[in-house]
Amino acid sequence: MPLLGSKNYDYLNKPVPRVDALDKVLGRAQYAADLKFPQMLYGGMLRSGLSHAKVAKIDVAKAKAMDGVFEVLTYGDLKKAKSWANYMYITDTVRYVGDVVAIVAAETPEIVQDALKAIQVEYQELPGVYTIEEALAKDAPLVHEGAPDNIFKESHFPVRKGDVEKGFAQCEVIIEREYHTQYIEHAYIEPEACVAVPDPIDGTMTVFSSSQNPYFTRRYVADILQCGMHKVRIVQQTLGGSFGGKEEGVGLIAGRAAILAQKTGRPVKIALTREESILESSKRHPFRLKYKIGATREGKIMALEAELVDNSGAYNNQTQFMNFRAAVHTAGVYEIPNVKVDVVGVFTNNIHSGAMRGYSSPQIIFAQEQLIEELAEELGMNPIEFRKLNALKTGSLTATSQELVEPVILEEMIDTLVQKTEYSKKREAYKNQSGPKKRGIGIATCFRGCGFGAESVDASGATVTALEDGTVIINSGLVENGQGLKTAYSQIAAEVLGVPVERIHFIGVDTHSIADCGMTVASRGTVMGSQAMKKAAGELKEILKKTAAEMLNTHVDKVDIKDGVYFEVPNPKNKVFFSDVCNKQLWSGRQMSVFAWYEPKNLNYDHHTGQGNAFPTYSFGCVVAEVEVDTETGYVDVLNVAAGHDVGTAVNPALIKGQIYGGIAMGMGFAITEEVEVNKGKVGTLNLDTYIIPTSMDMPQMSTLIFECDDKEGTYGAKSLGEPATEAVGAAIANAIYNATGRRIRQLPADLEKVLLGKSLRGGGK
Amino acid sequence: MLKFDYLRPGSVKEACRLLAQHKEKAKVIAGGTDLMVQLRDEDKKLKDIAYVIDINHLKELKYIKKDGDYLRIGALTTHDEIYKSELINEAVPFLAQAVNTVGSPQIRHRGTIGGSICNASPAADPVPPLVALDAQLKLVSAKGEREVSLLSIFEKPYVTNLAPDELLVEVYFKGLPENTKTSFIKLGRRKALAIARMNIAAAITLDSEGKVVEARIAPGSVLPKPDRVRTAEELLLGKAPDQKLLEEAGRKVSEEMIKRSGIRWSTEYKKPVIEALTQRVINQALGVE
Amino acid sequence: MEKIKVNMKVNSKPVTVEVKPYARLLDVLREELGLTGTKEGCGIGECGACTVIIDGENVNSCLVLAASMEGKEITTIEGMAKDGRLHPLQDAFIRHNALQCGFCTPGLLMSAKAFLDKNQNPTREDIKVGISGNLCRCTGYEQVVDAIEEVANKND
Repeated sequence: MPLLGSKNYDYLNKPVPRVDALDKVLGRAQYAADLKFPQMLYGGMLRSGLSHAKVAKIDVAKAKAMDGVFEVLTYGDLKKAKSWANYMYITDTVRYVGDVVAIVAAETPEIVQDALKAIQVEYQELPGVYTIEEALAKDAPLVHEGAPDNIFKESHFPVRKGDVEKGFAQCEVIIEREYHTQYIEHAYIEPEACVAVPDPIDGTMTVFSSSQNPYFTRRYVADILQCGMHKVRIVQQTLGGSFGGKEEGVGLIAGRAAILAQKTGRPVKIALTREESILESSKRHPFRLKYKIGATREGKIMALEAELVDNSGAYNNQTQFMNFRAAVHTAGVYEIPNVKVDVVGVFTNNIHSGAMRGYSSPQIIFAQEQLIEELAEELGMNPIEFRKLNALKTGSLTATSQELVEPVILEEMIDTLVQKTEYSKKREAYKNQSGPKKRGIGIATCFRGCGFGAESVDASGATVTALEDGTVIINSGLVENGQGLKTAYSQIAAEVLGVPVERIHFIGVDTHSIADCGMTVASRGTVMGSQAMKKAAGELKEILKKTAAEMLNTHVDKVDIKDGVYFEVPNPKNKVFFSDVCNKQLWSGRQMSVFAWYEPKNLNYDHHTGQGNAFPTYSFGCVVAEVEVDTETGYVDVLNVAAGHDVGTAVNPALIKGQIYGGIAMGMGFAITEEVEVNKGKVGTLNLDTYIIPTSMDMPQMSTLIFECDDKEGTYGAKSLGEPATEAVGAAIANAIYNATGRRIRQLPADLEKVLLGKSLRGGGK
Repeated sequence: MLKFDYLRPGSVKEACRLLAQHKEKAKVIAGGTDLMVQLRDEDKKLKDIAYVIDINHLKELKYIKKDGDYLRIGALTTHDEIYKSELINEAVPFLAQAVNTVGSPQIRHRGTIGGSICNASPAADPVPPLVALDAQLKLVSAKGEREVSLLSIFEKPYVTNLAPDELLVEVYFKGLPENTKTSFIKLGRRKALAIARMNIAAAITLDSEGKVVEARIAPGSVLPKPDRVRTAEELLLGKAPDQKLLEEAGRKVSEEMIKRSGIRWSTEYKKPVIEALTQRVINQALGVE
Repeated sequence: MEKIKVNMKVNSKPVTVEVKPYARLLDVLREELGLTGTKEGCGIGECGACTVIIDGENVNSCLVLAASMEGKEITTIEGMAKDGRLHPLQDAFIRHNALQCGFCTPGLLMSAKAFLDKNQNPTREDIKVGISGNLCRCTGYEQVVDAIEEVANKND
């Protein structure tokens, strides 16, 4: 049931304009790099440019002596140079090209650059490892002494369901395939920035930053300063996109700015150039995905075995969390009785991988959704029928043996998409084309565990405060990244309170103002993060209702509210304004504000076997892409993309569409043009001229199909969308390219050379 | 960002005087779309620059005019102005096509034809049509004026042999014969803001029987220096283009590429693709799809 | 190095500034004039976040020397709303959800304005060309094009 409006809400399910839109169209929204403080200095970093080396000697005397230079720090100057996660603020052991060996604070950005050039460093270069194969080779050089064989032990996650050997014995057709994905850059348009402002009187360090997760940033700052967290205050500025990228990287620059600010006693700003941003921010993990899958002649998949290895780069980069999600989703949207999955990361002397929109799903779906078609073809079956035959349904057991008790509408979604796009007809027609330009159509399905699930604690807090004039201030530790969280939370508070959205103001995160509510990641903001908002607003509603009942001279059970007016249920003419109730509330000395905490239910998941309930619920998606491949040049033109997503409840359809369109663009880039080229650890694509994201002219015709269902888990039944919006696009395009050319793309991106020759020629034909 | 002093001559003459004075220490800025990037990146070839001489405001170098059989374009004419010029669209439509594939609207509003030539990027989109047109350049200096062919100035990628005190003021070329059809193709990795992986310009003149009387074929990012591919052009002469002939012409272009550049890591891709693009650009010029 | 005195008009107001010879227009707008609505995303003219309008044309202010702005008329995002009223494009961007993180929005609005000022009846494809020098990572451009198209159609 593609919606809309089938659900009965006052403020949800409606395309309410973004609450932060006005500031943004006027250019007055303040991003971190826009800030200026009296006496402010500028900070900068000297990066090694080498992939693996020891600093033999570093001489900063010349830099220190320069006019306008206030501080120069090297590894030895810090009490603690290694962050709480194992990144280095400043290091004497270079593990990748972006590693920092010295930092500078000076009066102007120009002087910073001059000072950095004046620092003399002698390195002792070391042999490095760069690919998964090199990292795992016998006697390979080690990236970290604590990680033997370069294996990131904590990132190993298995899934063991049934018995794959017995399963394969029942199969008539078994195929084995290997797929590879590339490094992907978030490419948010705003490079990272922060300003650290010391308070000389009480010793508090306030950092205004482009943090996706200000509480995460706070850990770094308290860590580098070796002070209590109560002396660190992080104020999130308007964030110019993040997609998972402004986590560790911003923690590092915030830490460096803070130590420079502490040493100099002056505010210090660090704003990264695009090149630095690409060097130091995390990347989407490249994966090597080996699959073995088998089915009976009738097309029932009986067993799946997979070994996934991801390239983590030089530092501890969330691989140990992400690979849990990877393991849970490796078998795709299919009910398979026997599953054996192992996912593990390896360290290399490359840029580090970390969180990026999807958190392993784009890579897995790219492989999995081609694998399923390769098996269908081997069986001589129609890929749609084959999918539906094996698809997860309500009541199915997933690979982790979780029973899907909430409604699963995947089949309905597939049918709708197939019909709307004329998939079957086109697919047949495209098998026989003449001429150099060949069209193809491809489909991919996906599912995604909503929120953190068994990965982490999906708790959150929120405050809702009524003011005497009937306006409301809300706050949460979750943040606006651009996705529209402020708007969604305002809508949710409005829905609960019965007050128009315009009267609600979301503060934005200041870590001194509210408790750590966990990270705004995992597409959990609306689904799980807003549970506390709903709860707090609900409690405040009940409290205010008592005052309203008094004013209406009726029993509290008979009071309801709509559009900011309380009324008596049987007698709606007996009414009182929300503002009057708030006013009375204040002057009666009654409670005006509620802080509520939401604790998620225990999921019961066993990480040693990968069995149990991995997530409270799952959202589903289905994407159809149509391409035209120029078989003489390898150019892939994406013509049409139709994306269907089951969002449970569409809190704001306009914002949902925005997420889907943006997700398609990012998925397209992943599929055909984007790759952070790394050659022995050196990054070849350091700016947006060579790292190629789609422009307006590259975008296909897009259509969105928003599905709703009745799911009990998320806030108002909402399910995750931010990451689902991009995760299946690459796979659909890869399947479309196959339909057009008859050649499988098993290594991304499907760029000119890959499509024409079947191999990469980038970076000198590696 | 490199540091330099800013000089703003009021005329071409004054610009020449400044160039004569500062020579290698000075660099001329026109639209700045390439130079500003190089200055920011502290490009090694600019390390001795102490002065930037801004000529962008010199309106006298902004024109497109017909002069008998010739078309003359002032060096400071922007890509956007060329794209919108009726004169250009009528006489040499492939040049309009080519300049409109440069960068983005913002770049086309600032970037100039003279700047594009002097930057000497092998992937420059305006260059192949100009090469096909046998364009000539007018250079001035305090010592006087000289004219050279466009082809003669390219030394290697991003390097020309213009003297440090010389200023490019005009590019001009003879209009094409009647019955000439032109086209330009750019192959990039995306549709805007793209660096040409390869590009190619073609101008084909047919007689009344449909036979080729003149052919000009100029690829970009294919040869070590921009040039026409005479072997491919000569092959077409006197013949009516058909598929087989065009395939052969394509092979002539790839042969020329390998002859001049040798086999490189990219040859495996470029060879078949430049062959296909050659056929395609001629077909497009002739209106065959 | 000597500073250069430059007289220009910024958002309809005459402004005289002394700039470093190598200062970019972008830096002067942001640092000297406090017009931080113009953003820096790449520094090499690729992303378009620094787009401003100079004498009616949208350009990347990171590729322009401030010293060269003598006599020029510059419009930045701060000059788009007039007399407390939003420009129709700003209003359309809000209603069409044409922005998410908002970092590319000022540049996109500048390009859209310069484009519509010169193009009366653009097609959807023309609009896409008009904003092709402005990278956006959030929106996939669809609702941006919707917003511009609506304003273009009203211009008829």
